[in-house]
Amino acid sequence: MMAFLEKKWSLAVLIAAAAALMALVSLTPAPGRGGSLLLAFLFFITVVEGCIAAAAAGATVNARWVGSVRKELLSVTPLLLVASFLLLLLIPFVDTYPWAGKQGIWLRKDFFIGRNLAFLLLAYVTARRFAAAPADGEGTKSRAAWYLLVFVVSQSLAAFDLVMSLEYPWISALLGGYFFIEAIYAGFAVSALLCLRRSGTPPADHAHGSRSDLSDLSILMFGFSLMWAGLFFAQFLTIWYGNLPEEVGFLAKRLSASPLRELCVAVLFLLFFLPFPALLSTRAKSNPYVVSAAALSILSGILVERFVFLAPVVRFSAVALAIDFACLLLLFVAVVYKGSRGASLDA
Amino acid sequence: MGIADRYAKVDRDVLAAMKRPGRVYLAGLAFTATLVVIGGALWAYQIRSGLGVAGYTHPVNWAIYITNFVFWVGIAHSGTLISAVLYLFRARYRTSFNRAAEAMTVFALMVAGLFPLIHLGRSWVFYYLIPYPTQRQLWVNFRSPLVWDVFAVGTYFTVSLVFFYVGMIPDFAAAKQHVAGIRKRIYTVLSLGWQGTQKEWRHYGMLYLFLAAFATPLVASVHSVVSWDFAMSIVPGWHTTIFAPYFVAGAILSGTAMVITLVVPLRKAMNLHEYITDDHFESIAKILLFTSLIVTYAYIVEFGLASYGENVFEKEAFRYRALGEFRYLTWVMLFCNSLVPLTLFAKRLRRNITFLLVVSLLVNVGMWLERFVIIVTSLAHDFDPYVWGTYRPTYVEVGISLGSFGLFFMLYLLFVKNLPVLSISEIKEHL
Amino acid sequence: MAGPMIFEEKEKFLERLRGLVREGVPGEKIRVITPFGVPEVEEILPRGRSKVRFFALVGAASGTVTGFAFTILTSLSWPLIVGGKPVVSLPPFLIIAFALTILFGALSTFAGFLLLSRLPNLRGIRSGEEFGNSFVILIEDGERR
Repeated sequence: MMAFLEKKWSLAVLIAAAAALMALVSLTPAPGRGGSLLLAFLFFITVVEGCIAAAAAGATVNARWVGSVRKELLSVTPLLLVASFLLLLLIPFVDTYPWAGKQGIWLRKDFFIGRNLAFLLLAYVTARRFAAAPADGEGTKSRAAWYLLVFVVSQSLAAFDLVMSLEYPWISALLGGYFFIEAIYAGFAVSALLCLRRSGTPPADHAHGSRSDLSDLSILMFGFSLMWAGLFFAQFLTIWYGNLPEEVGFLAKRLSASPLRELCVAVLFLLFFLPFPALLSTRAKSNPYVVSAAALSILSGILVERFVFLAPVVRFSAVALAIDFACLLLLFVAVVYKGSRGASLDA
Repeated sequence: MGIADRYAKVDRDVLAAMKRPGRVYLAGLAFTATLVVIGGALWAYQIRSGLGVAGYTHPVNWAIYITNFVFWVGIAHSGTLISAVLYLFRARYRTSFNRAAEAMTVFALMVAGLFPLIHLGRSWVFYYLIPYPTQRQLWVNFRSPLVWDVFAVGTYFTVSLVFFYVGMIPDFAAAKQHVAGIRKRIYTVLSLGWQGTQKEWRHYGMLYLFLAAFATPLVASVHSVVSWDFAMSIVPGWHTTIFAPYFVAGAILSGTAMVITLVVPLRKAMNLHEYITDDHFESIAKILLFTSLIVTYAYIVEFGLASYGENVFEKEAFRYRALGEFRYLTWVMLFCNSLVPLTLFAKRLRRNITFLLVVSLLVNVGMWLERFVIIVTSLAHDFDPYVWGTYRPTYVEVGISLGSFGLFFMLYLLFVKNLPVLSISEIKEHL
Repeated sequence: MAGPMIFEEKEKFLERLRGLVREGVPGEKIRVITPFGVPEVEEILPRGRSKVRFFALVGAASGTVTGFAFTILTSLSWPLIVGGKPVVSLPPFLIIAFALTILFGALSTFAGFLLLSRLPNLRGIRSGEEFGNSFVILIEDGERR
């Protein structure tokens, strides 16, 4: 397997194979195919865009920890093209959205797919330009800033279009911000895992040990767990307090019955009540077991949350979900592996 | 210059600021004190005659007083950002600003705290909001955002005051060696007999770290709670989930603008160019730009989502905000908060101190108008067309608002002459 | 107590301090006074991490407990249904508990600092010896060095 990955064209082959498999699975006319692909797609772009955003954010503030995992984080850039392809596969699924019958200016199928696709491709272009720039070069900061602007729009569109309009006419103005903060949160979690993976091998080109970088990443995960909790609470409190029928239906559908109610509680634990106390003490922040547990908890929390957002409105098929996830996970691991070896990437 | 001389120079430069006041200073003090007296007199008149003289009537019952309250609480936040949050991020450049910023926080909160009292009309019943066992056997309504305000802003004021004072303990000890008479006695008492032993510094370091760690979540949470004064209602234009982060970003935006407005003349008047450099201002300008982008994002999302969906009330509320009676204020607000800060993407403009000062004044105006626009347009034009109304401020409100600005600047002028304006020990540490 | 050793420069001061420790002077007898916190002193004369952090933890925990207990018990003592919200409504009570966590935490940390540093130091207020910006080493028990 490793030998296969060494080859230059191996990545292209893997991507093509995975894309073909997912196309096959999602385009067969069986219930739940489109929904499963949507869930996989949402989780995937959160993590991928978030990884690049974490690196870009680190670049704009001259953060230290970025140096140790920058290459791996930026190696996921070609996956944005995969995501664009997946978005195209979702075109038939868009017909199941509640507004599909009465289309307006903003919610119409061609504009809907078009703008999401455009920003995914723009994210790819800006990410590629940012990745091509040297770590401490002249124009690196501005390239990072451009990517971040596109990232914010792309994630906000994913939130408002793909998720919020499933519950049309429900509105939560914060959902866009919520999604891109979760993406950066996921980016830090992945960075921590990559940093841990790397601390087996000695750091190549920076002066400080990975121990303090890990500690910095833990502080960021800790801080973002608080920020996530704050954003979650802002939405929950406003909707709960106002108790307006057009808003509260969203919460009621997800909190009134098992298993969704237990999954909601699980989301709270995975994204806040586990990482926050675990990463509270200074010693824990550089303990590899605690940090990797927290990072995995965060990533699974985001996945379960996407599921909870979609579950009452969308049908899933376990088989399709498993295949989609397996393909995307395999692709992610493969690009990161290749990226860490420093091999050149031809998307 | 040997290191000992450089330490002595820090002492001299900071303490030079506290020498006998010149004519310009006294004129400024007299002017601001006059504004305070006028404001106080008008408040007394309002207590006697009722809130009607302030232009408050159906349907707009919250207007300039609440605008001022939110404005001043917002300004306080960036002081804590600079002193606490930047400390946790180990940002070196904060040491020249942080004392001035902390002072700004404390004074802004003092001024902000006046406005709920002024706005009560019958200011003496403020004690209804304080939870203590009464013979009426009634407790406060903890489900009300106004009570959350009492706890949040009260906590914020207490913690900021402690943080401000703690930061000055070693500085009082240093300053007392260079003054005489009653000032020496006061500084000695305020320094608590601090000597600078290893034990004291060890505990002090941990105290400062924990205070910074406690103050940091306050930056986000207090203004979120203040925003929930509006978001917990169901008024269109107010009831939206984005208010919490939107207001926090807006608070930092207006606060950084006020820091620039205060520190640029301060640096000039006290000759502190060696300590507060153009690099420092550039860093503050970057924070201003970043928060302005967040506020712009919130504007786009709010206006966009108003037309999305089937809520005609939301649609109409935002149409009124953009094109209704107060449209000029909305446009000025959008210009000052979203467009003007975009110029700070240019490095040359970020380092031009005069330009920064102009931008900061515009942002201050824009952020004040933003609170006014949010509050008044939503109240003037909510669900039922038969209760749509308008609002015109009266001289009482304007006078009291000017008095509040006068109070803030007067307190700041008094601070500048009587307390060390830079954090002496931290600057020496980083020399 | 022997005369104080006064240094104008941090490096010389640290050198002498290291020298004293190497010579075998017991750490408890060495007192240093510095114009700002010098982390190297902690390495040379280790005293363990400050216990102020326990005050912070206890204060914050008591703040959380008080916040919830106070709001819940007072709501139950006069159970009014306001605004259609349940009598014991946790989301608003969480905000109060959060504020009190921070308030009690900060105040108790400050109290812990005053207690552990023995401040206010009345002797220091009344008779303050002033060393200015110098770094000072004092050795107790009359050993002249």
